[in-house]
Amino acid sequence: MKLTIPFYLHKAGAGFPSPATDYIEEDIDLNVHLIKNVPATFVIRVQGKSMTDVGINDGDILVVDKSLSPKNFSTVIANVHDELVVKSFVQERDKKFLTSGSKDFRDRILINEEEDIFIWGVVTYVIHSVY
Amino acid sequence: MSSIQYTKKIALIDCNSFYVSCERLFNPKIRKKPVVVLSNNDGCIISRSNEAKLLGIKMGEPYFKAKDIIIKNNVQVFSSNYSLYGDLSRRVMRTLKRFNSDIEIYSIDEAFMDLSNFPDKEVEEVGKEIRNTVLQWTGIPTSIGIAKTKTLSKVANHIAKKKLSGVTSLIGIENIDPILEKIDINDIWGVGKQLTKFYQKHGIYNAKQLKNKSNTWIKKSSNVLSSRTAMELRGISCIGLETTTSKRKSCVVSRSFGKRIESFQELKEAVASYCLNASEKIRSESLVAKAITIFVRTSPFQRNFGYYSNSKTIDFAIATNNSIEIVKNAISVLESIYKNGYRYQKAGIILTGLSNAKDKSNLFSSQKDERINSLMRSIDNTNYRYGRSTLSLASAGIHKKWNMRREHSSKIDTADFYCIPTIKAI
Repeated sequence: MKLTIPFYLHKAGAGFPSPATDYIEEDIDLNVHLIKNVPATFVIRVQGKSMTDVGINDGDILVVDKSLSPKNFSTVIANVHDELVVKSFVQERDKKFLTSGSKDFRDRILINEEEDIFIWGVVTYVIHSVY
Repeated sequence: MSSIQYTKKIALIDCNSFYVSCERLFNPKIRKKPVVVLSNNDGCIISRSNEAKLLGIKMGEPYFKAKDIIIKNNVQVFSSNYSLYGDLSRRVMRTLKRFNSDIEIYSIDEAFMDLSNFPDKEVEEVGKEIRNTVLQWTGIPTSIGIAKTKTLSKVANHIAKKKLSGVTSLIGIENIDPILEKIDINDIWGVGKQLTKFYQKHGIYNAKQLKNKSNTWIKKSSNVLSSRTAMELRGISCIGLETTTSKRKSCVVSRSFGKRIESFQELKEAVASYCLNASEKIRSESLVAKAITIFVRTSPFQRNFGYYSNSKTIDFAIATNNSIEIVKNAISVLESIYKNGYRYQKAGIILTGLSNAKDKSNLFSSQKDERINSLMRSIDNTNYRYGRSTLSLASAGIHKKWNMRREHSSKIDTADFYCIPTIKAI
């Protein structure tokens, strides 16, 4: 996947457009900025509304890096009973949980490899269309 | 730079049940279930999970023959999804290159890597780190065999496949004969069906026996390549790593049809479209082809219908990469090998004798050639910008009824924005 946006050298003015706009200096390559580790990064689409509280909406695009370890409150892709789901990662002392971004204790899932609950990858960017 | 010379150490990294592992990556429901992946057109089984192997499903077995076992054991079946496998293969290879940029990509799921720079004692640990990194980054499990030669690294890999850690090093083992004794002659790298028969006739059944056979005998009775294999089993490296991507010598486009084709018209459209793909491919690499081979065949498994298979090669008047020229020649060849009344299952074309296009201008070049070149460039640019087959030749047909059958495709492609996997937020 290659995604580029033309990058103009001068400021956007309100007046008559400069003829120099024909001269595009360079393209911004979002891949370079959004993807730090190419072979380990996957782009996926979200389906569902459980993560709207942390700013992830139905249909959003997520950039997922499988090589990273999650920090506290990282958004992650997790394997929960052999289904991949989007969750928040929470660490309290030596206990690691998955939540759906809400404060409700009841929706917490304890991470436990033996019960097939583990982190698949860490979400690094959310791409959300606002237009 | 230190001047310490370590012994030669070569690792073979092999992805476990690669196509199955790719299908499992975004579909954890089948993580522990028996899974098989079918070849183009759902013909044969070309990848099996360990669970499927344990059920007795054989590699290369026709799908219909294994169908009973598959249904009875609820085996998960997938059509091959080559764009997904290709992308994951590239990711695995790129990850490997972090450890040593000199790797030989041997196939879609195997690579050789030189680990001579690491001390003998650390090399198994390095292997484990490579394995863990590939697994963490790409989700693909691998087996790694490390030894003094490529042939021995294959042997080591064979053993690693059965180990939980997935890594086996034969470095530092004084006497490897007891290990080689357990390796069947037909499991040795470079020993094919014919050679296996030949060796067995002469009482050689395992790797140890071949290793201890004299070079003179091997050279006299088979060929130089076989003596290289024996030398490699003795730990003397004879086959170097081929890390530089040599320019391709040929370009093949072939596919099985989604449904059997009988009419010449439909066969012609398929062949023309393969020619367009192949000529676009060689143009993008600035190559021209000297000759073209066309082949067609019916299904070998359809008992009620006759079997027919034929191929023919012709030279172009002048080496070319011009789609029109290639299609025209291909169709005239096809006319000569097409037989009425058969149900064709597969056709393909091979462009051979590829060479640099720049050396092409000759006495017979004309202004017309220049015009054709610029037409080809416009076609390629348009197709690049607006997607494959925006511009095509009418002979390639428009409806393409013969396209691949992929009944069980996972339809995910990690390299195509419109086919990226969906993950639930629930």
